[in-house]
Amino acid sequence: MSLLLKNISLPLASFTLEASIEAHGRITAIFGPSGAGKTSLLDLIAGLRKAQSAFIKLGDRVLTDTANKICVPTHQRGIGYVSQDLALFPHLSVRQNLLYGAKINGAARPLFSFEHVTKVLEIESLIPRNVTELSGGEKQRVALARALLASPRLLLLDEPLGSLDAALKAKIIPYLTRIRDEFQVPMLCVTHDRFEALTLADEIVVLVSGKILQSGPVLNVFTRPADAEVARFVGIETLHPGRITSVSDGLAMVSIGNALLTALAPSVATREVFVCIRGEDVILQHEIAAASSVRNRLMARVVSFRTEGALVRVELDAGFPLFAFITRPALAELALREGSTITALIKAPAIHLVPR
Amino acid sequence: MKNIAQLIVGFSLLLSALCAPAAEINVFAAASLTDSLKVIASNYEKASGDKIVFNFGASSTLARQIEEGAPVDIFFSADEAKMDGLDKKGLIDTSTRKSRLGNSLVVVVPSASKLNVESAGDLTNASVKQIAFADPKAVPAGVYGKGWLTSQKLWATIEPKVVPTENVRAALAAVESGNVEAGVVFKTDAKISKQIKVAYEVPAKDAPKISYPMALVKEPKQPDAAKRFLNYLSSEEAGQGFKRFGFILLE
Amino acid sequence: MTAEEWQIVWFTAWVSALSTVMILPFGLALAWALARHDWPGKSIVETLVALPLVMPPVATGLILLHLFGRRGALGSFLHDTLHFDVIFTWKAVLLALSVMSLPLLVRSTRVAFEEVNPRLEQIARTLGASQWRVLCTITIPLAARGIVAGMVLAFARALGEFGATIMIAGNIPGKTSTLSLAIYQNVQLGEDANAFRLLGVSVVLAFAAVWFSEFLLRRKRKPQ
Repeated sequence: MSLLLKNISLPLASFTLEASIEAHGRITAIFGPSGAGKTSLLDLIAGLRKAQSAFIKLGDRVLTDTANKICVPTHQRGIGYVSQDLALFPHLSVRQNLLYGAKINGAARPLFSFEHVTKVLEIESLIPRNVTELSGGEKQRVALARALLASPRLLLLDEPLGSLDAALKAKIIPYLTRIRDEFQVPMLCVTHDRFEALTLADEIVVLVSGKILQSGPVLNVFTRPADAEVARFVGIETLHPGRITSVSDGLAMVSIGNALLTALAPSVATREVFVCIRGEDVILQHEIAAASSVRNRLMARVVSFRTEGALVRVELDAGFPLFAFITRPALAELALREGSTITALIKAPAIHLVPR
Repeated sequence: MKNIAQLIVGFSLLLSALCAPAAEINVFAAASLTDSLKVIASNYEKASGDKIVFNFGASSTLARQIEEGAPVDIFFSADEAKMDGLDKKGLIDTSTRKSRLGNSLVVVVPSASKLNVESAGDLTNASVKQIAFADPKAVPAGVYGKGWLTSQKLWATIEPKVVPTENVRAALAAVESGNVEAGVVFKTDAKISKQIKVAYEVPAKDAPKISYPMALVKEPKQPDAAKRFLNYLSSEEAGQGFKRFGFILLE
Repeated sequence: MTAEEWQIVWFTAWVSALSTVMILPFGLALAWALARHDWPGKSIVETLVALPLVMPPVATGLILLHLFGRRGALGSFLHDTLHFDVIFTWKAVLLALSVMSLPLLVRSTRVAFEEVNPRLEQIARTLGASQWRVLCTITIPLAARGIVAGMVLAFARALGEFGATIMIAGNIPGKTSTLSLAIYQNVQLGEDANAFRLLGVSVVLAFAAVWFSEFLLRRKRKPQ
């Protein structure tokens, strides 16, 4: 199911949202800083908002075409929406919430059965309860189930992990991937969290100040940002496949290239991972202090460096390609040149592991 | 004789205008006296230099206001009952009480109306759905009207059609607006309106005796000026003024 | 209390109740349109709806008299075509009460609607509910307490209506005599004892209505 967005012109607080997106993949993430117009874009797709100009086509059905004055009303679009505040109906029970959309679409073959959805999302025990008694994570799953039970052809998610703490995020991510795999409903997520985007998405659209800077398969965008602006927003200078060799006491040993790193164990048990290290989290040092809290001290050789404003982007070979951001005075102080050797220090919590 | 009387009145007015400072006299008068009194009073004001301030309304309402202590010098009622009521409460200077004016009742209809009323009984026709009366419970015009129909033994039949209004002028206005088929008002009220026509004049023998007593209140604010005006109201000149508006002089 | 007085109380109560029920659909629709939508001429409509609240009631009554009188724009049509008279009948009482209490209903209901999170309505639409269905299953149930409080306020206002009523309905005993009109007339006639009895009844009615409305609002403030 492909979603085609063309010629979107939507005036917002301080800029005009202009976009042309073609989303094919199963999960597409719209990634950008807050205030980029991401929620407005979702509202537009769902038909909750009108634009000066817009062309929206889902599959082979034109939903919005301002040039020809076509605008399918929201309730006929078949697009599910899980908003940031979840918007569960407080005056209805969990069961009534879940069945709200299902009842309307009537007996006409729902895409997914009530039993199936509640089982996959593990909310069977919540059904008789009151919406107001649920915890954050439970509400999220109920909101997801409610949207699914309305048989959507496309599911829109506004910051699905945004309001959750780290532990809860890790718990919800599997449910989202389950939705992708079990129910095969294409999803469009909006997020400002790069790791969320990396973990969930197949394709990514980078939206900054109302403009699409880059779009494509998620790894492409992260590893080969089109320009410095995208790179700044994407912000993961080192992105490299690795494998977890062992886990103990919440720490994981990761084999990457010729190196072995200590990182925090991911909550989801996994072997193959992407190792993500932000350039600003890498410290370069000549002398190694005797005892230090840093778990990862790598001998590295400078491959190249490039000045970017006040910072210098240093490419290193640490047994795998490693990038570091240091200041220009620091570069002078360390007297680094191509070929110099230096020790790279990376704290274990600064290494993010994203399941592959 | 008349000429001498007029001369005396005119002279005394002139005298009072020269001698006394301009006084403000408060007069509470029945609604049906509105137009006539305004003209008469304005003549008096020019001659005497005093100012007359009127409060026109249903005599029942005015009597109530006087009971509650409203500032007033003269009460000019449309029936004796209201004056009697105040007298019983000791609010009237009985020595100044005089009934000079009479009136007659008429049945009026909107100018464009095709209604024919030749007797009281015609009011019972189905074509007459609603008849405006000044509130027959208290307002003199309505009380007289009720008295008339009661004497014709028709009140019980007609009562369901009655739309009671605040005062007789309001009854007149109701007929003018066309919202009722007919109304019972004084002949003098019918005279001043161009949007209605008189369908039937109630013969004097069928109606109760209509008389308009006037008197000074017990404690007027301007006793001398008020007395002068009250005397003027009894004069020949004033009498002509009332007659021009259709009132009957009772003397 | 005499039989006539009980008739007046009963008449006032049912006419006030009927007027409240009658203005409810229109009042709700208007309140919803004002709460949720922007449209050309909205501010004019808002002002018109507020007018009976701020204008002297007799002034409103005068306008109604000229509109619905037999020579008026609406009245002539009603009289000539439908043989239907409003002025000086109980229908005029109903009209006066409806017009005077509508602004109160619209105000309270509008606030109630505005307090419903629009996101809830939007999500309901994405789940496939038409605007009408959203109104019935989401908006109105969530605004219910405010709506009922508005109705009670409108009812209380109708109970006490005088100025417009006396203008277009008169005070015809047994037909258009309401509590307020009867109290006024009794005072005019010097029947203070009767007036005070009726006053007592109207105070009790108004008190009960307002107390009930406050009670509902208090329940509304408890977290849902």
